[in-house]
Amino acid sequence: MIIALMTWFTTIIFSMVLGTYLCFRIEKHGVKRWGATGRLYQYKQKEGE
Amino acid sequence: MVYLIVLGLYVAFVIWTSIRSLRHAESMSDFTTGGHRMGLLLGIGTTTATWVSVASVMGIPGYLYSNGVSAIIGWVAGWFLATALMPLVAYKVRRPEIPARTFPEYIHMRFEPFRKVSHLRTIVGAIMFIGYFLFVHLQVVGFGIVFSTITGFDYQYAIFAFLIFLLFTSIGGFWSVAATDTLNTLLIVLGVILGGASVLAATGGLANIVDTISATTQPTNLGGSEIPEGSMISPVGTFGLGALLAIFMSNAVGSIVSPHWVTRMLAPRNVKVAVLQVMGSLLVLIVIFIPLIIMGLGAKTLIPSLPADQTTDYIIPLIVQEYTPPLVGALTLVALCAAAVSSANSMLLHCATSLYYDVYLNIFSKKQITEKKFNMNLRIGMFVIAVIAVVSSITPPWFLAMGFTYVYGGFGAVFFAVVILGLYWKRMNRAGAYVSMLVGLFTYIIAQFLNATNPFLIALSASLIGVLLVVFFTKRSPVEAYEPYFKAEISQSTKQTILDIQKNETDPSVISDEPKITKKDA
Repeated sequence: MIIALMTWFTTIIFSMVLGTYLCFRIEKHGVKRWGATGRLYQYKQKEGE
Repeated sequence: MVYLIVLGLYVAFVIWTSIRSLRHAESMSDFTTGGHRMGLLLGIGTTTATWVSVASVMGIPGYLYSNGVSAIIGWVAGWFLATALMPLVAYKVRRPEIPARTFPEYIHMRFEPFRKVSHLRTIVGAIMFIGYFLFVHLQVVGFGIVFSTITGFDYQYAIFAFLIFLLFTSIGGFWSVAATDTLNTLLIVLGVILGGASVLAATGGLANIVDTISATTQPTNLGGSEIPEGSMISPVGTFGLGALLAIFMSNAVGSIVSPHWVTRMLAPRNVKVAVLQVMGSLLVLIVIFIPLIIMGLGAKTLIPSLPADQTTDYIIPLIVQEYTPPLVGALTLVALCAAAVSSANSMLLHCATSLYYDVYLNIFSKKQITEKKFNMNLRIGMFVIAVIAVVSSITPPWFLAMGFTYVYGGFGAVFFAVVILGLYWKRMNRAGAYVSMLVGLFTYIIAQFLNATNPFLIALSASLIGVLLVVFFTKRSPVEAYEPYFKAEISQSTKQTILDIQKNETDPSVISDEPKITKKDA
């Protein structure tokens, strides 16, 4: 049971790490149309920015 | 009576939401991908609801009930790994300033950008139609089981109620589907949490559940053969390592390249929203799956064996009826209906769009139709397909979760190379696309008929070997084919090529209603 649950949890952690890495790549490219805002998890510019 | 009242309220809300959403579906792009402007919260709602189907809420607890924790590896972890990998597709496919509106259109743009009639696109549309028809069919089966439990109607009649839900949630196109999906997500979360808590209370807690499944030898169905002691707690269960690996891989790799997921990644307003919506959905899915696992395993404690004539897909409706208070039971069962509706409406949209837009209009590209007529024809197509799906479900052929695995395996074998290599490898070309899809498709079908242990892995390997054999001996892809997925700024010729493909901009086959309206107003 522990092996099954650990397999599941590993996929969850992997998802968060990969998603974060891709957000980081978007920021590194700096293309606003792709959602680059200067902040890792922010996807649209705030008013006045 | 409580069940019927809660169900009635749900039906009323679905109809109200759908009619309100109708006004959003103005253009063809609105109808298929929401005009590529979807925000994060709606994205999380609709992604989660599409993700959670009857295979998740009924099929998975069914396999947990019959095979124990191995179902967590095969299906839950498999689908979560797919969800983890989906951002890789989103990261590339949503990059173009003018993205594709359907999956076959992406194939057209990426592999046959200069062809007015793309045969590759027609083949993809036809394969999608078959796959999504089977998916809709499976949702109808799941819905029929739950609806017959709530209302007491025979399953054969209960499935026809599905038409009402499907029609109302599909006629408004993408925005209608997205709006009802968000409501469905809230309902699913609430329903399974309450259901899971009730089952946990009825079993006496997690320790009792673990003790029972560790020691039980009770057959799945009354009169059946006993299961080996300890098999329900074993990570491979009664599947065996090879079969479990096959299920895991089909679910994981097949799902990420499934056309409906690729299309979902086209809907958000930008690449980052596409990535974040998957991450957000995964967090909601954890909240949904913990109660589902408790319900599936806890059911073995409460009902050691099912009646001889019922499949394991019936286990959740049975324990909800027997062991939860009426209001909680009603909410949980309506949540199961919501799961069926939310996946089926999206898949019905893909089914009809692929047949009408990507097969019919692609072949008969000289036909002139307005966007209004396009949307109307698509609605008629959806209705006809929904009726056929319901009629075909009178005698259900498969277990729900395994049915999904077969289709995902097929999608993975056929579409892996054109999606992953198409997005990440400039050298991937038209010849490679034809070979990968046809070799993948036929190898998968043959491997299934020969009862191979891992048909998906065999077909995927054959498909990739085929790609490598032809890609290096055939012409490179033109820059117009891959540029939008690799560069932020694209050349003028690439822009023109995209506009040429997206017919409503430049081609008379689908013309915008705008000039007519302006003329009328003038």
